[in-house]
Amino acid sequence: MKNKIPIKSILLIFIIVLTVFTLAVVIVIDQRVTSKLDGVLWTVPAKIYSRSLEIAEGGKVNINNLLKELDLLSYEKTTNPINPGQFYYKKDNIKIFLKGYKKQDSGLYEVNFKDNKVKSLKRQDGISIDLITLEPMAIGGMYPSHMEDRLLLDWPEVPESLVKILLAVEDQGFFDHYGISLKSISRAFFTNIKAANIEQGGSTITQQLAKSFFFSSEQTLKRKLVEAIAALLIELRYSKQEILLAYINDVYLGQSGKRSIHGFGLGAKHFFGSSLKNLEVDQLALLVGMLKGPSLYNPRRNPMNALNRRNTVLGVLRRDGLIKEKVYMDLKMKPVKTIKPSFRSETKYPAFHDLVRKELRNNFEEEELRSEGLSVYTNIDPIFQASLEENIILTKEKLIKKYGKKLEELEGAAIVVDIQNGEIKAVVGSTNPSQFGFNRSLNAFRPIGSLVKPFVYLSALEKYQQYNLTTILDDSVLSVPITNNSFWKPNNFDKKYHGNVPLHKALWQSYNVASARLGIGLGFDAVGKTFKSLGIEKAVSRYPSLYIGSFEMSPFDVVQAYQTIASDGFYSPLRSIRDITNINGESALSYPYKIEQRFRPEPIHLIKFAMQQTFVKGTARGYSQKIIDKWNVGGKTGTSDDQRDSWFVGYAGDYLVLVWFGFDDNRPTPLTGRSGALELWKNFIEDINPNPATKTTLPRIQYVWTDINDGKLSGPKCKNSIFTPFIIGTEPKNIPEVRRRCGSSLEDESSSVVKKLKQVFEKIKSEAN
Amino acid sequence: MKQINLIFLSLVVIFITSCSSVSKQPETSSSIIELDVFSSSVDQLLTNKNFLKSEILKINASKPSIQRILNESDSYWIEGNFLKANSGLERALRISKNESSVFLRLAHIRLEQGLEIESSSFAARGLLISNVSSWERLLLNVYVIN
Repeated sequence: MKNKIPIKSILLIFIIVLTVFTLAVVIVIDQRVTSKLDGVLWTVPAKIYSRSLEIAEGGKVNINNLLKELDLLSYEKTTNPINPGQFYYKKDNIKIFLKGYKKQDSGLYEVNFKDNKVKSLKRQDGISIDLITLEPMAIGGMYPSHMEDRLLLDWPEVPESLVKILLAVEDQGFFDHYGISLKSISRAFFTNIKAANIEQGGSTITQQLAKSFFFSSEQTLKRKLVEAIAALLIELRYSKQEILLAYINDVYLGQSGKRSIHGFGLGAKHFFGSSLKNLEVDQLALLVGMLKGPSLYNPRRNPMNALNRRNTVLGVLRRDGLIKEKVYMDLKMKPVKTIKPSFRSETKYPAFHDLVRKELRNNFEEEELRSEGLSVYTNIDPIFQASLEENIILTKEKLIKKYGKKLEELEGAAIVVDIQNGEIKAVVGSTNPSQFGFNRSLNAFRPIGSLVKPFVYLSALEKYQQYNLTTILDDSVLSVPITNNSFWKPNNFDKKYHGNVPLHKALWQSYNVASARLGIGLGFDAVGKTFKSLGIEKAVSRYPSLYIGSFEMSPFDVVQAYQTIASDGFYSPLRSIRDITNINGESALSYPYKIEQRFRPEPIHLIKFAMQQTFVKGTARGYSQKIIDKWNVGGKTGTSDDQRDSWFVGYAGDYLVLVWFGFDDNRPTPLTGRSGALELWKNFIEDINPNPATKTTLPRIQYVWTDINDGKLSGPKCKNSIFTPFIIGTEPKNIPEVRRRCGSSLEDESSSVVKKLKQVFEKIKSEAN
Repeated sequence: MKQINLIFLSLVVIFITSCSSVSKQPETSSSIIELDVFSSSVDQLLTNKNFLKSEILKINASKPSIQRILNESDSYWIEGNFLKANSGLERALRISKNESSVFLRLAHIRLEQGLEIESSSFAARGLLISNVSSWERLLLNVYVIN
């Protein structure tokens, strides 16, 4: 007997299976909806910004650099700046319509310059002010894999007019339906039947939001069903206000490279360079109109399409009585204007981003960086960065022209630092600076050659009762036993020995033998102590070759050590980041200016004098005394064995710049520090043309004339004399017999001062009588 | 309060006399006593950080733009918001690197934060600035000595 299953049971089982299946589908869709609306939709990648430029009354300004900055910030040059983001410039006068940033109001400001200084600053109403701040440049972000970017808005930041336009164009019955509008669907259905094609969508705003949660744009029945369920679930779980705000933050408005632009907030910034609240009705109409086809109606790529679409939207607004006829006619005639895209989603500054990421990862999880909407304010100066990138390419091209194709694979790195506070202003890690990859500024460890010498000489000058700048060093043959039968015999670059030389000359001529002998005399402990004070943490082998730079360091570590020297003995850790704020603009982490006095300023003054002589008479000679004085330049060339590394480190104005050139496989180059790295250093410095150096004062320093060869006392009229600084009490006292005649000008000079004083005194006396 | 004023008065008198004295003069026993008095006065001055702070807050910047930033920074400092006060002072230094009024504030704030080495370093850095008034120099020295 066959057991017959009753139809009723089959039906029941079918219903149960169907219910379970439907429920499962609903649960899956619900999870997707809630995870999106509660989570991913609100994730905002961290954004990285440059420093913001401040223009202060009486402050120093390089006008060319200011104009470059305005260009990078997408300001438009015009004869009559009337909108945010426009400026006018004629000699020594600039009118800028600022876009506004934090406490800096948007508005028209006039700046007058005189001799590269700000003479006056005025508001539009003619009232004098003392300071204006330009917005920082966004230089990149920490994007999640889907590369979605947005600027989250809350209701107070959403203009009412946007909501009205949005509802008029996209969903007139938004506040009346439950996620699906049968009226819209039937209207679209009949239109499509009529056209025998899918021409019109009947999607409500809720459905459009639901659609964006599933990464597909296919228009199948199954897809529509899923969207409809999702829309109903959204309406069930969230209020109309929450749905509308999510939609405003989520809509897709186009691509910027790999980055996708989501939400009206970012859309306003991306296309108009302004916040959503500041947009005009025609601009809002364009953004809303773009929803129909972000690529087709992209105002940059297809301006005519965008104009027509905007006017269609304006027509809807007129039809619905949201704008009057006259306004419609006026707005319709307005051209579609957008700014140049200024946000660099795919960063142009890989080496700098490397530094930023390294610092960020010490304090934040990767997930936080990709989703918490942090704003990272860095110290990068975009003008310096652009110049450094351009000049490393140009310098390499020039070197190839001079030395041939063998330099085609030449690599390099360079770092620019604010001497006083250790802020990193620019960095490149390759001769192809826009390329991601091996960052040599951080990761190339190379023998530093003669760059070590100032450290050794500073160790000596610290012992100021034993050593001064004219202490005689011995630059004759040196042979140091290393093992039983082997000796270390250093050579000078010119393969000659120079006998007795004053200490300062041995440094600016970069004599190896004299330096090695000085280091040996000082000992490893004394030199090692100096290394430590300069921030060199790495353990260095105790071989005498250490004193002429046989050990390896990265460009970053070298520039840190030189920062302490350049800043008169005050060590400040190098910083790429200034401050980090959370999505609400509150400080999340700051990197304050730290300082520690590691050396007394007097020995540093002496070493800086010798480093300045590198430019006057030594391995970096070539600048006029006027330029040397203006920028208060100083530096040191470095060339490693067989010219495998070409280094130069030097300061000008308030900046310290280090340059390295070499091959990755460590083969010899035809370059010395002077013929390679110094070239880039000079090209960069001359391009940025820094303001004159900040002057300091040292009462315990006295200058006297000494002879450049024997270091003994001399006079201004004597041949080969050099005005040399000494810590008071350590200067030479007796003039040698051979220079008594020319050196007597010292006495003449002092007597002439006395004479003049007497004259003044007599004059005052006679006036009093 | 009277005691503090007395200390200050004596400090100023000592400072002025020390400035006016010719350095070429051989050291006499009286100058050694003056130095001792100076040191002990500085010690006493240092024990009253509030008084020092109030003196520093009176020191203005040389440029109006910097002064505006200092006013804002000072109000954060008075509220005890070191982070924002410090941020303002750094901003001021970026605009003008040679403002002793800024270095004095940084020296005192670091002292309040318990960062004594930084405090004395900021003061020592301030002392390198040309054209610092005698009074500012004296105050900076208080942190260096500390």
